[in-house]
Amino acid sequence: MLSCSVDSQFTHKIWQEVELSKMVDGGVQFPMLSDTGGKIGNLYGVYDEEGGVNIRGRFIIDPDGVVQAMEVLTPPVGRNFTELIRQVQAFQHVRETGEPTPAGWQPGKKTLKPGPDLVGKVWETWKIGD
Amino acid sequence: MSVKVGQKAPEFEANAFVDGGFKKVKLSDYKDKWVVLCFYPGDFTFV
Repeated sequence: MLSCSVDSQFTHKIWQEVELSKMVDGGVQFPMLSDTGGKIGNLYGVYDEEGGVNIRGRFIIDPDGVVQAMEVLTPPVGRNFTELIRQVQAFQHVRETGEPTPAGWQPGKKTLKPGPDLVGKVWETWKIGD
Repeated sequence: MSVKVGQKAPEFEANAFVDGGFKKVKLSDYKDKWVVLCFYPGDFTFV
């Protein structure tokens, strides 16, 4: 996990000390990146020049450095970390097994075996909640 | 420039606050690991 905003590393330190450490035992453990000027945000298409800040973008990057998923929100709406963790688990499962995961998949749930036999038959082998 | 799924994530280097200290962090430091890169508008806001 890497977090990134246009704040300096010094501001990150103060935020950790005065607030985050009171919300999470021992404070957050991941590196808090400083993107002064929004260079990194620009690379990822999430820097808002007018506001001078990075908007809420998050990217899941696999061990080969390939972007597997991204989500970008305007500032007023916060994120759902349960869904983020579910997506990471699903991408890890696909990488380990090659089996695609259907909608709403959770670890231990059924996966699909794509092929000519499955066409038009998903309704027989998979139900919402499986 | 923007990123696309299925393509390489752009490399970057940044000053970071981590483990109580300051250091440089590069995306390539995390080769062979899963990374969640999370942007947010500013410290002292919700994420």
